[in-house]
Amino acid sequence: MLYTVNRHLERKAKLHQVMHHPYFGFFVLGFLLLLVQIIRISGVNIPTTVLRGLGLTMIYIIIALGFSILLGYAGLASLGTAGFVGIGTYLIGYLTNAKGLSVSMILVIGFLGAIAIGTIVGFISLRIEGLYLGIITLGLSEILNEVFKNATAITNGTNGLLMNRIVLFGQYYQFNSNTIFIAIVFILIFVMILTLNIMKSPTGRAMLAMRNSESAAQAMGVSVLKYRLLAFIIATVYAFLGGILYMTYIGFSIPTTWNLAFSLFVLAAVIVGGSQSILGVVLGTFMIFGLDLAVFQQIPLFQENPAITFILNGVLIVVVVMFYPGGLARLITNLKYKITSLSKKLMKKWKAFKYGEDD
Amino acid sequence: MAKMIDSILKYYLMKQIDHLETKIAFLSEYQPILIEGKKAILTSKLEKLAFKQKHQLLPYAIQAGKIDDYLKEAKAFEIKKVEEKFFWSHRALKQSLKRNQNQAAYDASLASITSKKDENIITIEAKYAASSNLQEAIQAYELVVSNQKNEFDQLKTRLEKNYDVFATNKKQLLETKLSKLNDKLQTTMKQFHRFKSADNQLESMIEPDTLLKLDNLSMHFGGLKAVDELSFSVKKGEIFGLIGPNGAGKTTVFNCITRFYKATSGQIYYRNHLNEPLNLNQFVVHNVIKEGIVRTFQNVELIWELPILENLLVAGHTLYRTGFIGQLFNSRRIKREEMIMRQKALKILSDLGLLAYQYSYPIGLPYGILKKIELARTLMVNPQLIILDEPAAGLNDAETNNLAHTIKKIRDDYQATIFLVEHDMGLVMEICDTVCAISFGKKLAIGTPKEIQSSKVVREAYLGGE
Repeated sequence: MLYTVNRHLERKAKLHQVMHHPYFGFFVLGFLLLLVQIIRISGVNIPTTVLRGLGLTMIYIIIALGFSILLGYAGLASLGTAGFVGIGTYLIGYLTNAKGLSVSMILVIGFLGAIAIGTIVGFISLRIEGLYLGIITLGLSEILNEVFKNATAITNGTNGLLMNRIVLFGQYYQFNSNTIFIAIVFILIFVMILTLNIMKSPTGRAMLAMRNSESAAQAMGVSVLKYRLLAFIIATVYAFLGGILYMTYIGFSIPTTWNLAFSLFVLAAVIVGGSQSILGVVLGTFMIFGLDLAVFQQIPLFQENPAITFILNGVLIVVVVMFYPGGLARLITNLKYKITSLSKKLMKKWKAFKYGEDD
Repeated sequence: MAKMIDSILKYYLMKQIDHLETKIAFLSEYQPILIEGKKAILTSKLEKLAFKQKHQLLPYAIQAGKIDDYLKEAKAFEIKKVEEKFFWSHRALKQSLKRNQNQAAYDASLASITSKKDENIITIEAKYAASSNLQEAIQAYELVVSNQKNEFDQLKTRLEKNYDVFATNKKQLLETKLSKLNDKLQTTMKQFHRFKSADNQLESMIEPDTLLKLDNLSMHFGGLKAVDELSFSVKKGEIFGLIGPNGAGKTTVFNCITRFYKATSGQIYYRNHLNEPLNLNQFVVHNVIKEGIVRTFQNVELIWELPILENLLVAGHTLYRTGFIGQLFNSRRIKREEMIMRQKALKILSDLGLLAYQYSYPIGLPYGILKKIELARTLMVNPQLIILDEPAAGLNDAETNNLAHTIKKIRDDYQATIFLVEHDMGLVMEICDTVCAISFGKKLAIGTPKEIQSSKVVREAYLGGE
């Protein structure tokens, strides 16, 4: 009957509305990641390295999202990411081990510290642009690395800092890494939503305007000082958050992790994925970090020769950058278009075969 | 020390005035849009109810045997389905006949499907014709119809009443708010003026009907005098043209007015929409737009990574009043502001005939359209003074004519003063009310287009003297 037909259409429209909501993809990703934990709880034996790889990838996605706002929107290239993430790890490590501060307090301190550091670097960026800014931030990162190595009272030097418990509501807790995994999933969804809001807001547009033409942006009332500082502050806050999550998840931080290679990997992840899309950043981070951590390390061939993973990763990066300069996000949209057009063509052919050509 | 405190207080008051002004502009301009939005909600609610009622009515209508439009539709829909099925199977049969050349099998299967189809149609008709207890059913149906009508009318009257109350209340509220804000603005202005006692001489520097006045403006790049002791004034509501040979320093004048360059010496006076005299030399680049001065660029400077509509939204950047935290959490306020700004942008686009391009990206659009988009972008902030840097450069004759028409239209519709630099003499002479000719940074002549055309000095500057 018509009644049922209309009901059906109504339901379909509602489904369409939900599926095309901008946050839908984030919740799907979060659900998929939670599914891994659900499968583990239901009794299937998932290797801990896979879980660890996925958890680390999520943390790196958070760091890369902040970086994508800095690079893709404000157009500022920074190589100081590793140093900022390192500060985040040592902040929580030192404050919990030595002072016994609770996590919420540490988050507030980290937030304020990130704002301070972001402001300083932002002021530097007013004078210097492009590659020179990259070099300056690289220098800053190396200075921080040396500080991590030598400030043994706080960072425990090159031996690395251990943290096996955190303080919540005035009590020590020894957390299972799986519970923290679940917490990270929710934080990731939250951060993605915030990032999308920034990207679609007047702030994001003002940053894009600044990146495209500084003089036009100024003529339209965009204060370059304000938005450069803001971009750096956002990136630094995300990096600090990533560092704090890293320390709570892994429980160990060593200066050699926070070197130039890490900054470059984050940069590569954002560029390979597509610097202006969240989907792109997620895919790029998964390709650069996740494939190696969660997939390749499970295959015996790669376990025996760890160098192969680097080569394979390198080849993948070269292929993507050569053929898809817009990044993996562009690749996905192109693929979507191709698949729909191909399926339409096939349906047409199948109908012609079954029912005959049109007269 | 006292001087420092004074300057801090002055800065605070300036911020306050800025804040109040944007608030007033926001409230007074967007009031109708807000109320219209409420009306849209009302109509959508009524439509939803009508849709729901239609579905509620259906079973009663069937039982009452009422072959009204609705039932006819339903019956036709089912019959159409059956016929469609028959059509496709018949087509398949024809195809197999073509392949196998088996006439007998074809005839047999055709007969079977036609009989099946007829059977189906008969059952459908029987289903719709069947009716029992007609009298009662019709009564029930009519009862439901009247009930529904009552319900609909009740909702309608209630909603309309609500809407009326909302509209009047909102209007009153906004008016009281506006008057309060205006009072506050005036008191703060008075406070501010007390600080400005030293600057009170500004009032005597610029005439009441003048919008912009350059007073002995000079701009030197090292030894090069790009602008040399230039002074002229632009009246309110006119189209003012600045002409001169290449390298005469026209764009430098623009850059000095919009504070991209800091003038070596000389003053730039300006009257804002509150008729308050200002010295533009005290402003920063990105604050000039807040006083109602917007500019375009010689080479089109659009944001290539955003569609046209969002390009216009960027131009309205100074009108947004939600802070960063509100934007971060996508608050209701930013959503409402975004809606209002979109409406405004769409209105401007439709005024300039660019509505078809609203979703397309600037890359690949014709140059004339890009220039027009830059013009549209300037209108987002209700400008007082629009500064156009060579608007006709790179356009063909038809596009230039179109542009002249558009510029005049903008002057009349948006009550803006237009100040332009142009090399296309045809355009300048056609649209400008006053023309000023400069050469090597010095003023040659100023007057109506005819006076400039007959001026000997200008001719010498362009063609060379003897």
